[in-house]
Amino acid sequence: MHAVGETGKTASHEPALVEVRGATVVYPGVVALDRVDFSIRAGEVHALTGENGSGKSTLAKVINGSAKPVEGEIYFEGELTEIANPRQGLDLGVVNISQELTLAPTLTVAENIFLGRLPTSGGRVDWGRLRRDGREVLERIGIDVSETAIVGDLNVELQQMVEISRAFSSEAKLLILDEATSSLSEQATRRLLALVDEHREKGVAVLMITHRMAELYAVCSTATVLRDGHLIGTAPLPETTEKRLVSMMVGRELDDYYNKREIAAGECVLELDALASEDGVLQETSLKVNRGEIVGVAGLVGSGKAELGLVLGGAVKSHGVAKVAGKEVKLGDPRKAIAGGIGFVPDDRKRSALLPNRSVAENFSLPWLSKFSRTGVLNLVSEKRAVGKAIDRYGVVTASANSTVTTLSGGNQQKVVLGRTFELDVDVLVLSEPTRGVDVGAKSEIYDLLQSAAEAGAGIVLISSELPELLGLADRIVVFFGGEIKGEFTREQMEEEAVAHVAVTGVHADSEEPNNETEGQ
Amino acid sequence: MSSPEDSTAVAPAPAKGGSRRPSLGSLEALSLGRYAGVIVALILVAALLTITQSTFLTWANMENIIAANSVILILALGATFVVISGGIDLSTASLMTAASMMLAIAFKSGWGLVPSVALALAFGAAAGLGNGLLIAKGKISFLAVTLGALSIWSSFALVVQEGQTVSVFSAKAFNPIHELVTNSIGPIPLLLIFDIALLLIAGGVLRYTTFGRSLFAIGSNEEAARLSGINVTRVLILVYTIAGLAAGLACIVSVGRLTAGSPTVDSNLLLTVLAAVLIGGTSFTGGLGGVAGTAIGVIFLGVVENGLTLSNVSSFWQGIVSGSILIIAVGFGVLRERGWSIRRARGANAAVTEGPVR
Repeated sequence: MHAVGETGKTASHEPALVEVRGATVVYPGVVALDRVDFSIRAGEVHALTGENGSGKSTLAKVINGSAKPVEGEIYFEGELTEIANPRQGLDLGVVNISQELTLAPTLTVAENIFLGRLPTSGGRVDWGRLRRDGREVLERIGIDVSETAIVGDLNVELQQMVEISRAFSSEAKLLILDEATSSLSEQATRRLLALVDEHREKGVAVLMITHRMAELYAVCSTATVLRDGHLIGTAPLPETTEKRLVSMMVGRELDDYYNKREIAAGECVLELDALASEDGVLQETSLKVNRGEIVGVAGLVGSGKAELGLVLGGAVKSHGVAKVAGKEVKLGDPRKAIAGGIGFVPDDRKRSALLPNRSVAENFSLPWLSKFSRTGVLNLVSEKRAVGKAIDRYGVVTASANSTVTTLSGGNQQKVVLGRTFELDVDVLVLSEPTRGVDVGAKSEIYDLLQSAAEAGAGIVLISSELPELLGLADRIVVFFGGEIKGEFTREQMEEEAVAHVAVTGVHADSEEPNNETEGQ
Repeated sequence: MSSPEDSTAVAPAPAKGGSRRPSLGSLEALSLGRYAGVIVALILVAALLTITQSTFLTWANMENIIAANSVILILALGATFVVISGGIDLSTASLMTAASMMLAIAFKSGWGLVPSVALALAFGAAAGLGNGLLIAKGKISFLAVTLGALSIWSSFALVVQEGQTVSVFSAKAFNPIHELVTNSIGPIPLLLIFDIALLLIAGGVLRYTTFGRSLFAIGSNEEAARLSGINVTRVLILVYTIAGLAAGLACIVSVGRLTAGSPTVDSNLLLTVLAAVLIGGTSFTGGLGGVAGTAIGVIFLGVVENGLTLSNVSSFWQGIVSGSILIIAVGFGVLRERGWSIRRARGANAAVTEGPVR
């Protein structure tokens, strides 16, 4: 099973840093890992990939001690080792950065970076040194944030960067990055990848859990693919093609998972005139979206693109004019936005979309309640019927409509959230990061659903940090920078580099393209 | 145990609607599992008392238990709503005491039945509305608001008649209330019918109304509920108003039983109410629970208390016993969740070995 990659820095007779043999992990309701073998050497950057629920994170947890295999052995530097808890993992030098943030939100950045290893003198915390060391780490890693800032006040991306700083400033032998880039912008991702490279050269082993192909090919020398808890294979990079890797992941060939359809645009359905958020993150913005059109919204974190979604969804206070199908919609209240014909899917599923301890059915019908009730009494029969239909239509894989929604995979949870919004039958759909934390197979299904909604005549605002997704789906891309639209690209003009350049610098790379320069003023 | 629903969780079938879960689904819908532990414990305690105390399993004693616990049940129904929404109403027992003073004074002043009762209900509902407005509109923590209200209403109850108990026994309009708590239709106490009616109404509101559904949604994830177009402010105001209304209803039973308005708050009442809600499986983190569980919690605590009294155990012991029960019951709930998961995992294991081979 082990095709060895070509990092070559370590002699091959040296034992692997970590070797897992025949690990089996059982979780409530699932065998998360089934007799999986895995090994990683010092100075190797190893990708661990597969769809959501394939067991990637579980394997990482076995290695860092937070999941206990019912079968199997772990060898650390050639010796049989039991890693019973994360503390032991840390002592061995296994440092984990997970997709779930593990920061203390009320403490400062510096305190978080050195949490559990605060510098002390004479038994008391040396606050001066803590700040200096914190400053030094932040500078080295290149994050523009004060070491005394309170972590809870930072946005998700900066929080993730603090988490990353904590890991990279520790004495790690093995760094596990569990989808660490999922909430990072392109720029921050590049910085992270550079850090990975730097540490690899120092002999640190890096295990990257990701389904982003670009990252995987940029830094990894080997990829291990899991599916449904089984080891599918280990492949050398970059020799193995992307197509081959994806087919290993999903178990079938996926040619073009965007499957862009030609949809004739209709009349203007959404018109924004000098719309701005009251907190100023979104500056006065004007934009038109036609029926059947997918308008992609690109930009870095903090560029205002996420705020545009919140404003259109009525989640934050705003001023300016928004017209749906010619009629002005009063924003600032989600109920009015929905009533006015705007359906909004927020970017953070767990925090602002799901009812975690309720059933799939209740999660589906959450925004439909008024549809099933007269005088406040619910018609449970028609609700059940509608939910059943929606489960089928949106391909939600669930044991039952009564299952708790969090027992579903991330992709299926997202299909519930998207499906319930699509079913509102609104004119405008505003989707913020609709495929965040969703695996490749479900992504492709979501792209299909999204285009079907456009075909049915909705105007779609697709806000995404994943440029390939925008390039693959959007009819037009607007790029936010500093709270304003600084660039606009038609399908013909779209090029990854050009869009990214505007997102990072706020100006076009090629100043001979004056037609876009005035956009959003 | 290798029911087909488990295998779907493991093997991602080509996306094609959810396969429906058979047998287990209906059982879970009844949510019997949640209460199984408390019900078993209740049966054990009742069996023990039946054997050791000859007076326990008599109709007269059952009537006793019903009469002694109706106030608790009514307050606990209101508290269940609040807890499901993710909050707590600490003022409920004090408000009930204040409202019972209002009711007693109204009777004493010669008000008729309807105006007196209406006053008590309106008083309770208005106080609850006040809580709701401060919490939902004023964005003040529910702990601060209802703790403040607890203090205000217990003090108010004392102030209003300078700490005097207001006897209503001689008031003519009081008679129907007295009959409510003492009379029966055949062998069935009126109070039991009253309690069951309230329980059914509360359960119906939770299950069959948009309000009930919104309540669970807000308790589960307030931001998600808000973004999905639920009027969170209105629902929260309403939920505290309902808790206040429950206090108003409870005071009718309280005054009926005491034939007086007593100005001192029963110091155990609030704790018993919240304990019953918790034992009944309603989660203090919000979004989970129901009034059926609460009723079982009330009955359980009531039977235990009755048993202690019958067994001549000093009432000083009651706090220790019910406190221990609370911790054990909730502890068992946690254990049950784990046990349930382990069984399921085993089932899934079997399903995997039989499942589709790749």
